[in-house]
Amino acid sequence: MRYDSILDTIGDTPLVRVAPEVHGLRNIDLYAKLEMLNPFGSVKDRPAWNMAKEGLAGAIERGDSIVELSSGNTAKALAVIAAMHGLPFKSVTNRMKVPEIKDLLLLLGAQIEELPGQTECLDPTDTEDPLTRMYRMLSEEGSGYLHTDQYFNPRNLEAHRISTAQEVIKDLDGRGPDIFIACVGTAGSSTGVATVLREHNPQVAVVGLVAQKSDFIPGIRNIDEVNEVGLFDPSNYDTIEAVSAQEAIDGMLTLNRRCGMLGGPTGGAAYFGAVRHLKAIDETLTERRTAVFIVCDRVESYMSYVRQRRPDLLKQPPRPNSVGTLTDAEVAAAASVDVAQARQWIAETAPLVVDLRGAFAYAALHIENSVNIVDELFDELLHGGLPIGASRPVLLVCPVGEKSARYAALLTRMGHQDARSLRGGVVAWRDAGAPLVRD
Amino acid sequence: MDTDLFLKPSLSDSVRGILDQPDLLPDMVEALGSPLNVVLPHQITDNVERYREVLTSHHLCGEVFFAHKANRSSALVRQLAAGDTGVDVASLGELRHVLEAGCAGRRIMATGPKDTDFLWLAARVGAVVNADSVQELAELAALVASHRLPRVRVMARLSAFDSAGVRVLSRPSRFGVHGREVGLVLDLLDKHRDELDLLGFAYHLDTNALTEKALALEGCLLAMREASARGFSPSAIDIGGGFGVNYLADREEWDRYTTELGRAVLGVRPAMTWQNHGYGLRAEAGTLRGALGVYPAYRPVAGPAYLDALLTLDAPTLGRSMATLLLESLYDLHVEPGRAMLDQCGLTAARVVEVRTTHAGDVLVRLAANSRDISTEDHAVLMDPVLLPPGSGEDDPVGVYLSGNLCLEDDLITRRKVTLPRLPAPGDLVVFVNTAGYFMDFAADHALMQPIAAKAAVYRAGGTWKWCLDEQYWPVKGDR
Repeated sequence: MRYDSILDTIGDTPLVRVAPEVHGLRNIDLYAKLEMLNPFGSVKDRPAWNMAKEGLAGAIERGDSIVELSSGNTAKALAVIAAMHGLPFKSVTNRMKVPEIKDLLLLLGAQIEELPGQTECLDPTDTEDPLTRMYRMLSEEGSGYLHTDQYFNPRNLEAHRISTAQEVIKDLDGRGPDIFIACVGTAGSSTGVATVLREHNPQVAVVGLVAQKSDFIPGIRNIDEVNEVGLFDPSNYDTIEAVSAQEAIDGMLTLNRRCGMLGGPTGGAAYFGAVRHLKAIDETLTERRTAVFIVCDRVESYMSYVRQRRPDLLKQPPRPNSVGTLTDAEVAAAASVDVAQARQWIAETAPLVVDLRGAFAYAALHIENSVNIVDELFDELLHGGLPIGASRPVLLVCPVGEKSARYAALLTRMGHQDARSLRGGVVAWRDAGAPLVRD
Repeated sequence: MDTDLFLKPSLSDSVRGILDQPDLLPDMVEALGSPLNVVLPHQITDNVERYREVLTSHHLCGEVFFAHKANRSSALVRQLAAGDTGVDVASLGELRHVLEAGCAGRRIMATGPKDTDFLWLAARVGAVVNADSVQELAELAALVASHRLPRVRVMARLSAFDSAGVRVLSRPSRFGVHGREVGLVLDLLDKHRDELDLLGFAYHLDTNALTEKALALEGCLLAMREASARGFSPSAIDIGGGFGVNYLADREEWDRYTTELGRAVLGVRPAMTWQNHGYGLRAEAGTLRGALGVYPAYRPVAGPAYLDALLTLDAPTLGRSMATLLLESLYDLHVEPGRAMLDQCGLTAARVVEVRTTHAGDVLVRLAANSRDISTEDHAVLMDPVLLPPGSGEDDPVGVYLSGNLCLEDDLITRRKVTLPRLPAPGDLVVFVNTAGYFMDFAADHALMQPIAAKAAVYRAGGTWKWCLDEQYWPVKGDR
């Protein structure tokens, strides 16, 4: 397959069957529309390009910026499109909730602006929504911009009407599915695909999935937020059901591990919501049915999301020579000296003084002639073995003597002969009036 | 009409205990009139302890200052003076009040807009002056020199910070200087080393976003470094307050209520508010526009837990956690909670005067109080009051509007229908809980010559609840 531009490769994504032994449905064939295989990695590539291309020529001529309210995949796709055409891209967002996407956007050259949080002493007259704020900010700057307006722009829906929906129908031998399950974000993909499917087959059942109110699932709005979306029309869905973040991750794991589809939590939510909905009707069916859901994007960007919600999934066994492997008894047995003893020891023996605090604090004040090895770095060194000669006396220093005791215990276990911890740490040192210097 | 859209308040054991006394509040209102403000001085001692525990859990030293502006009660301030807690004062009147309560000058932090009298008394008694501008520091230095006052400990308040990578926007503030102006502050302090002693830097941002506060705290750390490099020895960072209060007992009630409110504004369910008031939301072509301008009354992370979350956060560029950076740098951390220090420290009771049904079918319950006495609505805190006596449990809940005693159309104590467990009758009490932080008498006045609420302190003594006028309360009362 040969193309002139990466933009030509948007769309025509595969429709892949989920094996029956994975989902356990007896009378339904379940298919995943793998939108994650779009060139920039998500279902948003289609609307991003369809919305941007309309005003692109004029924007290039005037040197306008492309702007969008997005902290996710739409921003990612628009950032690429803007960069390819030499235009600045600015994303305005309430909060960047996915750090990997934030870094990627910066890498692509995007500007990101985070709007302020809610005020604590509330001003009930301040009822500006993010969109209004963004317009005000843009008009203050006085420069031109192309606002793609994904929550209200009909070209968002249209992208799915003219491509995604047609592909699904074609791949299902011109019949289309009996049931279509989609997460509701901008409502672009769910509404765009659903309307075409319904025109094709009025019997199709459309299930919209939203996030539970207190939960965050990337790319999905909760039951209140969908009401703020211009493209959202409840009559497009036969039912609307809620999915929790934990359920989205469960669904994602099944897609990743059992199906080999490396979709992210949005796709996971769609899979989970689809199977939950279909299980209930599967029993009552007498003939075969077909169902389709969308896998929106890829899992790789969501490692911090998973780490935050399900740290168990990423848990590594404790590494050798790490403080996490110490027993309380080992820590209690670590050698320590109080400030007076430490000063005497330094004067008589000149042990190596290792300050485990961060560079910021060390640079401000420290014990004279000490060496700064910040704890994180010291950890790394210790994984490889003793970084200090076993017979070289060493005094470990941290803020209050807690961390240093653990490292003294660890060094001792690793065969060091004279590692001691400064009891009470730098705080005790200062409180005793012992000298601290700044170099 | 739904009668199950409750927003039941969160109640401490003490507040529940007071509400459960059949005669206590009715007798107090009988004696002191309606409306009546009640404070619980012992609770504030417990609350201070929760903040101290957070500091201790991070091995941090520092002081807890009560932001006085949240409540003018004497009982609360005297109780704090007894416990050696500091107070943040924002006017000459507050400063005098706190000194009279027995608080040592050294434990006082003077903040906000200051005139010369205020600066003089603050300097005289050895309070810390938390300055908003270079001009204020210059005025203070001149005052100290010309009136031969002792050297004054000062903090410089910062209010705007540069961010790397993602641009973190904050609302512009009237108070404080930009992080880039630290050099100018230090130039001024350098000229007045005999008059002014730099204790450290401060910020107080009006936002509940942790990322903004993390950026500000890091900005203070960088300012401390700059000051140290110029030969000062600053030792403390003051992060103000704004830690928030959780007002409600139940997340699901809050989630459900706010969802239904949006639907009411869209017109897909009956109105839940007076004239379908949207609290900032409005409907345009079937889509909700605007923003819900209400306090997040259900807050899973508020008060001490919010402080803990901030301290646990990694600094945006220095990398380590805020608590670690403060501890390693040997800096004290000062906090100034106001509202968040007064959680569960007070309530406001009002007598029901009239109950009637309007032509449109709405039930109006008029109270002997007005919306300036009970300003939860002004602060957009949506929380149900408690009805006394509570009723038998066999009654049907009813949605009512609570209106006030002013001859003004807008004197609604709630612009939303609140769900009460039964229909009130004249003579019943409606009790608004958790009003000590800002909702009690912050804006109360004598409009229409209506009375301002009396204030009383309630405390445990001899195994029972006792009360006295706020002015009569001293920390020698009660079982502690």
